[in-house]
Amino acid sequence: MRTNAVFPGLIVFVLYLAVPVAVGHIDYVMSLIIAALTIGGIAVAWALLGNLGGMVSFGHAAFFGVGSYVSALLTLDAGWPVFAAMLAGGAGAVIASVVTMPALRLRGPYFALAILAFAHIFRILATELESITHGAGGLLSIPVLPTVAGFDLGTKIGGYYVILTIVLLAMAGYAWLRQSTMGLALLAMHDTEDATRIVGVPSTRLKALMLVVSAFITGVVGAFNAHQINFLDPDYAFSGSWTVLPIVAAIFGGYRTISGPLVGALVIYLVDQLVFKEFLPHGHEIILGALLVAMIVLSPTGLVPLVMRMVTRGRHAQA
Amino acid sequence: MKNKLRTLALAGAIALAGLVGAHAEETILLGSHLPLTGKLARVGTGMHEGIAVAVDMFNRQNEGKYKVELVTIDDETNPAKAVAAVEKLAGEGVVALTGGYGSNIIGPASEAANKAGLVYITSGGVAPELSKRGHKGFFRINNTEGYSKAMMGLLKDMGVKKVSILYNNKEATTDLAKTVEKDLSDQGIEVVLHAFDGATSDFKPLVNKVKLQDKSDAIGMVGYENDYVGILKAGTVLKPDVKAMVGVWSLATSKMNEEFHDLVQTVYGTSMLPYPAEFTSPEAKEFADTYQKLFGKEPDYLGQFGYVQTKLLLEAIVRAQQAGTLATGGLAEELRGTDANTLIGRVKFDENGDNPFFSHRMGQHQGDKVVLVWPEDAATGKMIFPATPWSQ
Amino acid sequence: MFELTLQALYSGLLTGAYYALVALGLALVFGTMKIINLAHGELVLLAAYVAYTAESQWGLNPLASIPLALVLVGFVAVAVYLLVGRIKKDRELNSLILTFGIGIILTNFVLLVWSADIHSTTTTWFQEAVVVGDILYSSRSEVLFFLISIALVFATWWWLTRTWYGRAIRAVSSNRDAAMLMGVNPRQTEVLSFVVAGVLATVAGIAIYTGQVIQPSLGLALTIKAFIITVLAGMGSIPGVLLGAVLIGVIEALTVTYLSSSLQEFTGMVLFLVVLLLRPQGLFGFGARRG
Repeated sequence: MRTNAVFPGLIVFVLYLAVPVAVGHIDYVMSLIIAALTIGGIAVAWALLGNLGGMVSFGHAAFFGVGSYVSALLTLDAGWPVFAAMLAGGAGAVIASVVTMPALRLRGPYFALAILAFAHIFRILATELESITHGAGGLLSIPVLPTVAGFDLGTKIGGYYVILTIVLLAMAGYAWLRQSTMGLALLAMHDTEDATRIVGVPSTRLKALMLVVSAFITGVVGAFNAHQINFLDPDYAFSGSWTVLPIVAAIFGGYRTISGPLVGALVIYLVDQLVFKEFLPHGHEIILGALLVAMIVLSPTGLVPLVMRMVTRGRHAQA
Repeated sequence: MKNKLRTLALAGAIALAGLVGAHAEETILLGSHLPLTGKLARVGTGMHEGIAVAVDMFNRQNEGKYKVELVTIDDETNPAKAVAAVEKLAGEGVVALTGGYGSNIIGPASEAANKAGLVYITSGGVAPELSKRGHKGFFRINNTEGYSKAMMGLLKDMGVKKVSILYNNKEATTDLAKTVEKDLSDQGIEVVLHAFDGATSDFKPLVNKVKLQDKSDAIGMVGYENDYVGILKAGTVLKPDVKAMVGVWSLATSKMNEEFHDLVQTVYGTSMLPYPAEFTSPEAKEFADTYQKLFGKEPDYLGQFGYVQTKLLLEAIVRAQQAGTLATGGLAEELRGTDANTLIGRVKFDENGDNPFFSHRMGQHQGDKVVLVWPEDAATGKMIFPATPWSQ
Repeated sequence: MFELTLQALYSGLLTGAYYALVALGLALVFGTMKIINLAHGELVLLAAYVAYTAESQWGLNPLASIPLALVLVGFVAVAVYLLVGRIKKDRELNSLILTFGIGIILTNFVLLVWSADIHSTTTTWFQEAVVVGDILYSSRSEVLFFLISIALVFATWWWLTRTWYGRAIRAVSSNRDAAMLMGVNPRQTEVLSFVVAGVLATVAGIAIYTGQVIQPSLGLALTIKAFIITVLAGMGSIPGVLLGAVLIGVIEALTVTYLSSSLQEFTGMVLFLVVLLLRPQGLFGFGARRG
């Protein structure tokens, strides 16, 4: 357990210092890393809901989009400061999750689909409620991240720090929840819901709480993206890829681990855009699909556990 | 004797050096980002072909003087990837950018170009806001007004009194439909608007509603290829009693004529050139030939736009290079000074980068051809009116 | 007004039959193997594109290309099954992701081979109008595939409940070990299930090609619709699939007629959610849905 504290600490150090120094001046690479981290943030939130809440969601784009729109509209139309608006974006996503709560009674795939339906509904509402959301045209020139303490967060490096912090905080929250009594109850519930109900664990309320947390994180990430890309429209905000890519990333990286989703997101996005796209400009998405298939068949628990296994095997061999 | 020989040799050497110097070719790096995969793959590829033709023709015309190297990145119909593509191209040192399709992608992408100080020219985004951001380097050769002028002009000439417009509820199509509605109402023509969801596959309920309730003289369609096919199929079954079916982009094309021949007979759509293309000017002939040589097919409107925007850009680049202002931001000035007669008509940019002279033309599918029927000075034939595919 | 409503109901009925064809294969696999095949829509799409190639290259009537499409789709369906069979644990979730990955591969494969152009049948026979009583309009392809759809739904239901193989499949899904003891080979019946789903997907693909426009992005949209209908209908109910699909079709048509055509997808989704939340076992299903 002690070694586990050094390793993450090292990683965090690398992320905050080494990466900007190494590639901070290459706008293009930074854009990719920021996009990968955005996906990673949603992936962490998705995995949290999946592991602690026991619910697989197929419509996290719903929370992402709501967070994006709330934050963008507050800064664009109501003049709110960006960071306050981002938190409000998270809050908006929470309200959206409350609307979806009746679906918590449903089992597995049914819950997944119900959330998907909600994502579609929100997208259509965003198109129709023109007076609030500016309709199908969307929003252009959304304000950028502000300058804080002399450091302009509107730059690529600035944006990188913000999303990195958001994701790491989310992971920390996830880790804390997992080892708390609440987390233990939830994990137990995962295995036998009936038994835990008898013991007195308020399962639905806990699940609802996980949904709220997951939605909040996703909403804040969505709000971040709005201020990073400075553009929003219903199709983009609620696009299926905000649902799909995080799932692929979480599964790929190992959704039962804390770091899995983030690692998965970085690997999938960066390798796809930097490597596959160079070799197969037209068909590189196909490789992604093939990778996913291979991963599920060969190592369903994901990449991180696979690597861990290989590392520990090596260590044992040395002993 | 020796002195004369030496002078001759020296003169020869200088002449040779002069010749070599004059033949030093300058390479111009041109960047382009387009949706080559994803939802807009079809239109992105079409535009890319036009851009490639422009580059090919330019290189041949300027052989020995300038050589353009085109770098194209697929933005996968994704705004974030388009921004990344622009940044990558800026990092590689491109001189300017041509391309982009979809106002929702062009918006962020051109912002990135603006931040990098690069000129950005496009024909794929007609949203009004795009030219209202104060970007000095943003240019586009077409806009919503131009499409609306054509549709309205045709309907006016037809003398219809009431039009039902069916439009896809996406941004570009909604914009155009509303602009057309305003323009037509100003002319005293009654307009009924019907928005439909892009995922609609069965248009019968909608067309039936129009047939039984609206009782219009003509039906306007503002959408994409699959929308037109769906509406026309519904029309074939319901046979509404109207005098004309009028669409906008992607309809009066050779592809629609070949693949959906019977379905599109007598249907109107916007088109710059007739089909088979009767290219009269030498430039147009060469354009068509190069297109055929490179891609083995006839150019369509996307290729035409891609070609014109890139040709104008390259000409401005050469002018700026010769004036020595290319590296110091003089390209935008040169481009703004453009006043040219091109394949798509007159192009002149205003201070927002818009081309106020852009006015499309209307073509009609007549048999195996697409005949230009509006405006009169560009027409290659007369319109068959009143007529619909089901009244034949 | 009355005419409008009647036409809307009629159109909705016929559209529902199309949806039912698409949903049937997915429902079969889901109902019997508890596997959600997210690549199902792509199988339908593949069949449609085979029909397109057959028609444009060799002038084959789309109906005649069904056997051709069957070969390709059947092959892919078996491949999907074999891959799914390799999953050891967490079958429900992992098969979801796996088939999703296969779906990505197939959609991109279609894009690479056939490009993003839209296509639809050029055989005019299918597009000719069929008018009933002067006020109900439909195209020949719609009526034809409506009848085929009903026939297939009935055939599938009959096969599942009356034949040995059908009952074997249901036995395997409810208790694999007991079924094995009774002499059922689970793998055989599961492969069969997938193949039958493939056959249904093929017919659906031809139907889509004759009645609508096909493009690579259609795959995912079809899968989602199919899944919604399956869930709406309820677990284990094959006739329910047809009824659920028709319900969605009719609601969509009525929305277009009475509300805004822009809200077509909206009402379908809302209906789906309402049913799911109020009657979790679906409209006609038997299994438990609560978790």
